[in-house]
Amino acid sequence: MKTPTTLEALIQALRCLPGVGPKSAQRMAYHLLQRDQAGAGHLASALVDALTRIRHCNRCNTFTELEVCELCANPARDHRTLCVVETPADLLMMEQTLAYGGLYFVLMGRLSPLDGIGPREIHLDRLLNRAQDGMIEEVILATNFTVEGEATAHYIAESLRSLGIRSSRIARGLPVGGELENVDSGTLAQAMVERRAL
Amino acid sequence: MATSKRVESASTFLLHHYPYRETSLIIDVFSREHGRHSLVARGARRPRAALRGLLLAFQPLLLSWFGNNELKTLHSAEWQGGVPQLTGRALMCGFYLNELLIKLLPREDPHPEIFDAYEKAIKALARGASSELEPTLRCFELALLAGLGYAPTLQLDSTGKPIEASRSYCFVPEQGAHAEIRIETGVTIAGQSLLDMAVGDYRSPLTLQQSKLLMRSLLTQLLGDAPLYTRRLLQDLQSL
Ligand SMILES: [Zn+2]
Repeated sequence: MKTPTTLEALIQALRCLPGVGPKSAQRMAYHLLQRDQAGAGHLASALVDALTRIRHCNRCNTFTELEVCELCANPARDHRTLCVVETPADLLMMEQTLAYGGLYFVLMGRLSPLDGIGPREIHLDRLLNRAQDGMIEEVILATNFTVEGEATAHYIAESLRSLGIRSSRIARGLPVGGELENVDSGTLAQAMVERRAL
Repeated sequence: MATSKRVESASTFLLHHYPYRETSLIIDVFSREHGRHSLVARGARRPRAALRGLLLAFQPLLLSWFGNNELKTLHSAEWQGGVPQLTGRALMCGFYLNELLIKLLPREDPHPEIFDAYEKAIKALARGASSELEPTLRCFELALLAGLGYAPTLQLDSTGKPIEASRSYCFVPEQGAHAEIRIETGVTIAGQSLLDMAVGDYRSPLTLQQSKLLMRSLLTQLLGDAPLYTRRLLQDLQSL
């Protein structure tokens, strides 16, 4: 029996999701068509809505429906500090800490030197333009503590330095409430290297 | 059925990694005794995976794996330590070394001498002295070429006569240093620079500058037209 081509197209389309292979794409497609047609309808219209309405904030580059997102437009935020993160999820994480009252810039990626993803590919010029608005006094680099995140932080710091803008890097170390015996060797070794005087 | 090949506690560096399925990682590793391999690290991308703080590039690791296929399965990883994590420009240089290995080192082909040169280079980069970065790259590039069987002859000219420190040469890849003729594809280099490179002495600014051009020309022979992403990044940084 030959699969109808519309079904084939749906299965093929679902495979664009991360971690979805041919088998699970097929399972999803059958589930949507057999058991949850209403859910499928919602999914379809939500996708179309999202694609037409969501854009990047002109100032921080995160997803928003507005030209300038609510966070960037909020006058109560400290407009002198800019925190650079890799993803919108990182921004939300940082917000949950309630430890930071400044503004953000979301890279939507990071440098990955071995994959050919350089400063042009992640549009670093947009961040550099943003940091030169005349208000920003400090750029806080909160990229991940992976080798790629470190490389990204270094490249941005050097670029900002050449523009005369001060930058800082968030600290790394043991998790709060963490016990030494439960910490991985890499973290503990680096905590020793980066120890500070008391 | 062939018995699955097991490798236990091999001295290894991780060169690169790719996400694999939902929670796993494929790591490209370079082991001293077994050469380059691709391993699946199952569950390494789970939020609290113990492997996360362990499977780091530029860190000496002891890895165990098994499997017959091209893609093997990581069984365990042990931290060896002793090398601070690379930062700043040294980190960018580290990426450059990894890109050279990924592009030039054949898979499953042991090269302990290249591994030792790599380990030495990483340790030098980790010490972080900025004056040490370029000499470290040059020493590694030479060791890599030698390990792959393309060592340039640095102490004799193309006719077999000893290089003279005070003479100028035209170095042509695959031919060597010409004392008399000039060839367009060659690199002009002082005899002293060649002699310095032969003993790994990069204190002279002229040697540093000329050796860089010579190594670039020799590496281009092997790399072909494939661009080196990390070289471009280093140049971008330099021009800021
Ligand atoms: Zn915004």
